[in-house]
Amino acid sequence: MIKLLKCEYRKTKGRYIFLTALLVTAVQIVWALYGKYTDTVLMNGWMTFLYQLPLVNAIFLPLLSIIVSSRLCDIEHKGVIFKQLSVISEKGKIFDAKFIYGVSIVIFCNIISWASTIIFGYIIGFSSDVPINLYLLYLLFTIAPTVAVYIFQHTLSMLFKNQAVTFFAGIIGTFCGLFSMFLPNIPLLRKLFIWGYYGVLQFVGMFGWTKETRMADVYFAVMDIDWLFFAILIAASVVMYIIGRILFCRKEV
Amino acid sequence: MIFKLLKAERMKLKRAPVWLAFFIMPIIPALLGTINYLGNIEILQSEWYSLWTQHTLFTCYFFLPIMLGVYCAYIMRIEYNNHNWNKILTMPVSRNLIFISKLITVSFMVLISEIWIGALFVISGTAVGMSAPPYGSIVVWCLFGTLGGMVMASIQLMLSLFIKSFALPIGIAFAGGLSGLLFLAKGFGHIWPYSLMAYGMNSNSPQRMIESGYTGFVVVCVVFIAFFTIISSVILSKRDV
Repeated sequence: MIKLLKCEYRKTKGRYIFLTALLVTAVQIVWALYGKYTDTVLMNGWMTFLYQLPLVNAIFLPLLSIIVSSRLCDIEHKGVIFKQLSVISEKGKIFDAKFIYGVSIVIFCNIISWASTIIFGYIIGFSSDVPINLYLLYLLFTIAPTVAVYIFQHTLSMLFKNQAVTFFAGIIGTFCGLFSMFLPNIPLLRKLFIWGYYGVLQFVGMFGWTKETRMADVYFAVMDIDWLFFAILIAASVVMYIIGRILFCRKEV
Repeated sequence: MIFKLLKAERMKLKRAPVWLAFFIMPIIPALLGTINYLGNIEILQSEWYSLWTQHTLFTCYFFLPIMLGVYCAYIMRIEYNNHNWNKILTMPVSRNLIFISKLITVSFMVLISEIWIGALFVISGTAVGMSAPPYGSIVVWCLFGTLGGMVMASIQLMLSLFIKSFALPIGIAFAGGLSGLLFLAKGFGHIWPYSLMAYGMNSNSPQRMIESGYTGFVVVCVVFIAFFTIISSVILSKRDV
C-alpha cells in the first residue's frame, strides 16, 4: 500500500493537484470571511461563523472533491494505465490507494480552512475565546459529509472514462444540497442527499429574526445534534465505498 | 463550410449524453425554488418576478457557469484525445471557423437551456396558481441570458483550448461565476464577462430593466465574443498542437 501511495505521489508530481486544491481552499476562505464586521457581529463572532460556514462548505467542498478526484483519476484514463497497474497490483488496492491519497488532500484543505477561520477570529478581535469543543465538533461535521461526497466522486471518476459525467453528477448533487439548505421546512430533503448533510449536521441556529426588527434581536444557540443521521451518513459512506470498490474490481479496465 | 463544421461537431457529440445534464439541472431550481417561494410567500410579494429570482439566482452564479465550463472542456477534450487536433487542423478549413463552429455548438446548448428554464418557470408559476405569465419579459430574459452565456462560452472555450487539463478550466469557470456575483454587487455587472449572463437574465432584480439599456448590453457582449474568438483563432493558427 505504501508503495502504491508513493506511486500516486510520483504520478501527480507536476500536475499541481495539491496547488489546485489549495487555490480552491483560498477562494473558499476569502469568500467565507469577507464581510462587514460590526460590533454585534464581533460579539457573537464565533457562533455566527458556526451558523454561516456550513453553507459556504456546501458550495465549495463538493467542488473541491470533484476537482481533486477527477484530476487524480484522469491520469490513468488518459494514459490507459489502469490496465498496467492492475497487472502489478490488485484492483481493489489501487482503488484504496487513490482514495486515501485524494481524501487526504481534501481533509488537509478542510483543516486549513478550519484553522484559518479560528486565526481570523482572533485577529479581527472576537470578544471571547474560541469555543474549542464546538469548533472541533464543527470540524468533524465538515469532514464527515466531505468524505462521503469524496467517496461518491472517487467512485464515479474511477468508473467513468468521460470525466464530464463525474462533473455533471457532482454539480447536480451540489445544487440539490445547496437548495435543500434553504428549505428548512422540509428537513427530509437535505437528509436524502449526501450533499445536504452540511445542513443536517449544522448545530448552531439563528433565532429572533423578524421582519420588523431584522438583525436587532438575533441570537445564536446550540441546537440538538442529529447523531442518528450522523451515524446514517457514516454507514452510507461505508456502503458507497464497498459498492464502488466492487464495481471497480469487476470493471474491465 | 460552417454548416459542414457544425455537422461534424454534432457527429462528435452523438451518443454523448452531456445534454442530459443541461436537461436535469434546471429542474432542481424549478422544483425547489418554487417550494421555497411557497414557503416565503409573505415576504416574496412580486409573484412572477419573485419566482424568477428563486429559479435563477443560484443557476446563474454557480451552476450554469460550471456546466458551461464542463461542456466547453468536453468539446475541446475530444480534440486533445488521440491527437485529433492534428487531424482537424490539416483539414482545408480556416482555423477561426473551427473555433466559431464550436462556439455555435455551445451557444445552441445555452439557448436550449434558457428555453427550458423559461418553460419550467411558466409551468411552475401556473402550477402554483399565478395567472398571466409575463411572456415578453421571459423572452427578453432568456434571449439576453443566452447572449451573456455566449460570452462565458467563448472565454471557457478559449481557456479549454489553451489549458490541456480538463478540471482546471472548470475551476476557473466556478471562480468566474463567483467573481460575477461580486462584480454585479459592486455595480460592474454590465462589463464583467462572467456577470453578463446573470445581468442579462435579470436574476437578482427582475423588475428593474437593465439601466444601461439593451443596446449597450448587446454591444458589450458582441465585443467580448469577437475579442475572445479572435484571440483563440490567432493562437490556434500560430501555436503548434
